[in-house]
Amino acid sequence: MLTNIKLIVILVGYLLTSSAFAQTDSSASAKQIVEKFQSDLIAVMKEGKQLGYAGRYTKLQEAVINSHDLSKIARIVVGKEGEKLSEEQQQKLDEVFSKLSIASYAHNFKDYSGESFVFDSEEQTTRGGVVIHSHLVIPDDKPVKFDYMLKEKGNSWRIINIIANGVSDLALKRSEYTTILQREGFDALIAKINEKIDTYSKQ
Amino acid sequence: MVIRSSQTESRKNMLQLGHRLMLAASIVTLLSGCATTELAGNNAVNPDDPYESFNRTIFGFNNSVDSYVAKPVSDAYRWITPDFMQTGVYNFFNNLKNVNVVLNDVLQAKFEQGAQDTGRLALNTTLGLGGLFDVAKSVGWHQNDEDFEQTLAVWGVPQGSYLVLPLLGPSTARGIPGSVFDTAANPATYIGMPVQLLSFLNARANAEGALKFIDEAALDPYVFTRESFLQWRNNLATDGKMDSSTNLLDLEDELETSTKPTKK
Repeated sequence: MLTNIKLIVILVGYLLTSSAFAQTDSSASAKQIVEKFQSDLIAVMKEGKQLGYAGRYTKLQEAVINSHDLSKIARIVVGKEGEKLSEEQQQKLDEVFSKLSIASYAHNFKDYSGESFVFDSEEQTTRGGVVIHSHLVIPDDKPVKFDYMLKEKGNSWRIINIIANGVSDLALKRSEYTTILQREGFDALIAKINEKIDTYSKQ
Repeated sequence: MVIRSSQTESRKNMLQLGHRLMLAASIVTLLSGCATTELAGNNAVNPDDPYESFNRTIFGFNNSVDSYVAKPVSDAYRWITPDFMQTGVYNFFNNLKNVNVVLNDVLQAKFEQGAQDTGRLALNTTLGLGGLFDVAKSVGWHQNDEDFEQTLAVWGVPQGSYLVLPLLGPSTARGIPGSVFDTAANPATYIGMPVQLLSFLNARANAEGALKFIDEAALDPYVFTRESFLQWRNNLATDGKMDSSTNLLDLEDELETSTKPTKK
């Protein structure tokens, strides 16, 4: 009798897990998206010197676009100010924002000294998002916590925020972008972003 | 004779501390003075930063002092002193700071961490030759970051407004009494002028990397500094436990509103 129950439990458990696997099989899970991006990043860091800025940019462009929802991020960072933008301005912002995001990765991750990413845990948020908790191990230094927040886009997951040691990239950018839009206007914002892309490419 | 001079020295230091307290107090009154006029202007974008235009002025002043005085002096220090000496100086001041860390561990009832930090202080002061070498790190005892501002946060004191202090940089209403206590409890405060100058040089030299990063990454350096400072302090005060849940709830609300079609 007891063994029978055990068998049923095992069977049900097996069915549950296999169906769960079947679901994630069709598209990459949130965890897979983050881990693919992290390994791409480490790979670029390893050959950072040989690739040079342009080489890193090309490799990271694909990695960033395949893992981030850049147009959604661009919409969140302008917040309510976005309502005042025309279609054309929104498109322009999308374009330069993507360039800036890739350029800052290409600029900041240019060499390798033994760093590695470690997965910690996965968390579901109340509104259907997923948070992947991980940390970056740096030899001879304190590890840096990286929390990735993802949302479903189509049949895949996309990163919309990175929280490094408690500092949210999205919150930081949103404050900057909305302040500049309010104080100086749209053209000033685009000019500042282009200026940054320019300095990143030169160093 | 020796005793008498050390007495006058410590009295002098107490006086210095008194001046600092007075400075802090006068800044607070100054700020509460502008509170009404500033809020009436209704320029404030961020509820944490009601004195934004005043803060921006001080931020600009601090930046010029930094580029004309602090940075050149700190660059010279980095240029003339060998790396191992800079590390030694950093370790020395860091070790003294651990007196504060232990004190705040206890005040926040983190007794286990307090015991480890006491061990860290003892080990580095003895085997580490007065703190010049960080021996405890190789034992696996990492430096913890605790201060009075975090203790006040743990005790439930609200953060208050964001403030940029002349020469001292970013702080909050809660940070001011915090730094006053921190300064009073840190042994480095009582050693005297040349050592304090060295402590300052060391702090500026260590901030070089972070300041360069802000310079490169920030579209609006003032907002970038404010946001990262407030988030970083909040993360420290909650020991990294609160960040994802609270941060994300806000963010999800934001998402709901911003993903609504805005097309006209």
